[in-house]
Amino acid sequence: MRRAEVIDGAAIAPEVINGVTEAVVAASRRPGGDPLVETVHETIYTETQRLAAEPAGGRARSDRAFVAELRHALPGAAQTELERMVRRIVARYAVEISGRFDPAVYAVATRALPGALAQLLGGGDVEQRLLLEGEVEALRAAAAHGTVALVPTHVSNLDSLVMGWAIYRLGLPPFAYAAGLNLFSNPALGFFMGHLGAYTVDRKKHDPLYLATLKEYATVLFARGQHGLWFPGGTRSRSGAVERSLKLGLLGTLPQALSRSLSAGRRGGLYVVPCTLTYPLVLEASSLVADFLRREGGPHYVELDDEFSRPRRWAAFFKGLAELDLAVHVRFGAPMDVVGNPIDAEGRSVDPKGRPIDVRGYLTAGGQLVADAARDAEYTREVGEQIARAWKRDTVALPTSVLAWAVFERARRERPHADLFRLLRGLAPQAELDLGTICADVERLVARLTGLAASGRARLASELQPGHAREAVERALATFATYHPVPVLQRRGDRIAVTDANLVYYYRNRLEGLLPREEVRA
Amino acid sequence: MSPLQVAVLGAGNWGTTLAALAGANGHATRLWTRDAAQAAEVNLRRTNRKTGLTLELPAQVRATASLEEALAGAELVIAAVPSQAFREVMAAASAWLEPHHALVHGTKGLELGTHARMSEIVRAETAVRQLGAVAGPNLAAEVSAGLPAATVAASPFPRVVGLVRRALSSPRLMVFESRDVLGVELCGALKNVVAIAAGMADEMRVGENAKAFLITRGMIELTRLGFAMGAQPETMSGLAGIGDLMVTCTSRRSRNHRVGVALARGETLEAALQALGMVAEGVYASVAARQLALEQGVELPLFERIDRVLHEGLHPREALEQLMGLEAGRDVPRLKARAASSLARAG
Repeated sequence: MRRAEVIDGAAIAPEVINGVTEAVVAASRRPGGDPLVETVHETIYTETQRLAAEPAGGRARSDRAFVAELRHALPGAAQTELERMVRRIVARYAVEISGRFDPAVYAVATRALPGALAQLLGGGDVEQRLLLEGEVEALRAAAAHGTVALVPTHVSNLDSLVMGWAIYRLGLPPFAYAAGLNLFSNPALGFFMGHLGAYTVDRKKHDPLYLATLKEYATVLFARGQHGLWFPGGTRSRSGAVERSLKLGLLGTLPQALSRSLSAGRRGGLYVVPCTLTYPLVLEASSLVADFLRREGGPHYVELDDEFSRPRRWAAFFKGLAELDLAVHVRFGAPMDVVGNPIDAEGRSVDPKGRPIDVRGYLTAGGQLVADAARDAEYTREVGEQIARAWKRDTVALPTSVLAWAVFERARRERPHADLFRLLRGLAPQAELDLGTICADVERLVARLTGLAASGRARLASELQPGHAREAVERALATFATYHPVPVLQRRGDRIAVTDANLVYYYRNRLEGLLPREEVRA
Repeated sequence: MSPLQVAVLGAGNWGTTLAALAGANGHATRLWTRDAAQAAEVNLRRTNRKTGLTLELPAQVRATASLEEALAGAELVIAAVPSQAFREVMAAASAWLEPHHALVHGTKGLELGTHARMSEIVRAETAVRQLGAVAGPNLAAEVSAGLPAATVAASPFPRVVGLVRRALSSPRLMVFESRDVLGVELCGALKNVVAIAAGMADEMRVGENAKAFLITRGMIELTRLGFAMGAQPETMSGLAGIGDLMVTCTSRRSRNHRVGVALARGETLEAALQALGMVAEGVYASVAARQLALEQGVELPLFERIDRVLHEGLHPREALEQLMGLEAGRDVPRLKARAASSLARAG
């Protein structure tokens, strides 16, 4: 293990500010480049747009004052003044983004985390609730041989907590992680997150200078050997499906980070490690799928149910996990280099024949390391596709998602011409399906998943065994009954009643792309 | 600018022509062939008679039967080997193909069985990532004779396009650029099937109207399949699409056209290929096109019938009658991407 703390934002801020400012100024001098006055105009315009939707006070008040100052100073500003303005804008963004890691806070937090989690999980053993699976040793080896960019699927706000525990439990040094600025608005949470190695990402800021500063910040961290974690899905999956399209911004910093690291003579590679999080129940499932359907459906869909308040839901959620001995699966995929090659046990990139290759060659032309944004974008696109494939393959099929799939698809077969919203309305409230039929469907699905798993194309939880569909269905029904305001699906004699069609759809979607389905009109 | 080191893999018509172009531009060019005697002929006599080309190869071109020698020090690799041998050659070359290499291919075909495109084979067999394809209306005999022509270098990597331009462009050859490798590869492979149809039409003397009908429907089907697979439809109206289709469907020098002529004359496919003495990529591509259409859920009536003529004994006249008997729908159908339904979208 190389580093016991996260690089402090203040330590790299000068490099970030200089890097972005010099690049922008140099670009403005190239033929066809944007003049600096346009760059500052863009900041004023995009920030004014953003701030119009922000409430008064706090950070927004300060931002408004800054934008007003820029607007006042811009007319007639000379080149040197424009350069100074760009530097100030970048510096302001860099300060906002910077993490402030505190080893003391980290030490306290990591000591407290297992106990706190155990308490949340009803006093049980954390290791039985959070299963660390997959290429765990390869992840450890990658972290020992170089720098790791860990990229999990994003299901729940609990993901940060779960990943923090996983990193701690694996004995890895702390990771810098990119967290939404909104999470920092709570002073206590912001203090801890900042001091645990988080840096901020504000999805509302569209100023190109902000995006350049954020990317430069991540580039410098990775180039200096800082392990990092972020959710390339960008936000929690609303539909419940595994994300298929990734936001490539931060991922796109890796080739340049590796190039700088090689240029500085640092040893060790830079590795991308996909990771999947699979929950038998999702804390925020109801609100997430409601949001998804609201966006999809427009006038088709009207949300009817309110949700319980958060503390009660948290309590119910963790109580449910503990009572039924349910586990969250954290599954690590095989590490790859920044162009998607696998790596061997020594951290070397290997070609399709397993021969070690020099990854430096991907970043050179005529033998020299050269910057090439189009090249890096193409590498990143391919790595993004590989991550999406790994996420799909490594998401663990659980009884809840398999039962939800069986129920939803059975309903669809019965109404083949219905669109999604008609299907959901047809299922709720209280549609009933034959238990024996559903068990037979589950048996077929488990057989299919088992076949896929045998060739490494799917993962199954141990509760899903061929020949034991009835047990799997009972297990899923019990799980659905523990936490949600209504039990999602409920057994009534030899029938299964649908009590929350939206959640059936949500849990079903986790297996989208793995199992066959008929087309449905949206 | 200093000369490049270029490796051309494959000393057939097109590989030899490309090597000659690079050599004539002053680039140190290695031409690889399996055949040591052919390599010796190139090096001693500056000719390559096996190809039927009459060109004299420039002194900068040196042939070799060693892949290691061909690839040593190369910055740009151009692969021009038949599609059904492509994987084998790439697997053999992979020991010397390194991350820094830029590689383009000039092979217009799909692999039988897997339907893999050549760029997919390079990805699967080698460490090379900076890839591209070169295609267009480029009859090797005309290009090697110095007649004016234009081609497309397709790659998402500007370095690759830049290297191809440096290596090949000249006052006699314009090199246009594209990012759509998939589209260029599909055009190059599938137009050969249309050329077989055009050859049949010529031999059956069904008239210029019928021939234009077949070529146009072929183009529309090619566009439909390409779009479904993710290619850019505008590629089909460029040099690699309509340009290559025009030359290959109208020139009697085209191998695929000649196969179509032979089949319409009543010869068997085996006899037609034997008489040709060279590979006709459309014979394989028709099988792949049919399978891909099935996978993508698109209908290709013309391609399907040409495939049945080639491999199921359907008579060319019967195929034409069947096509004429189909219901005539919209001339140019609207392209509809197979958008994921809301069930498939993550959120």
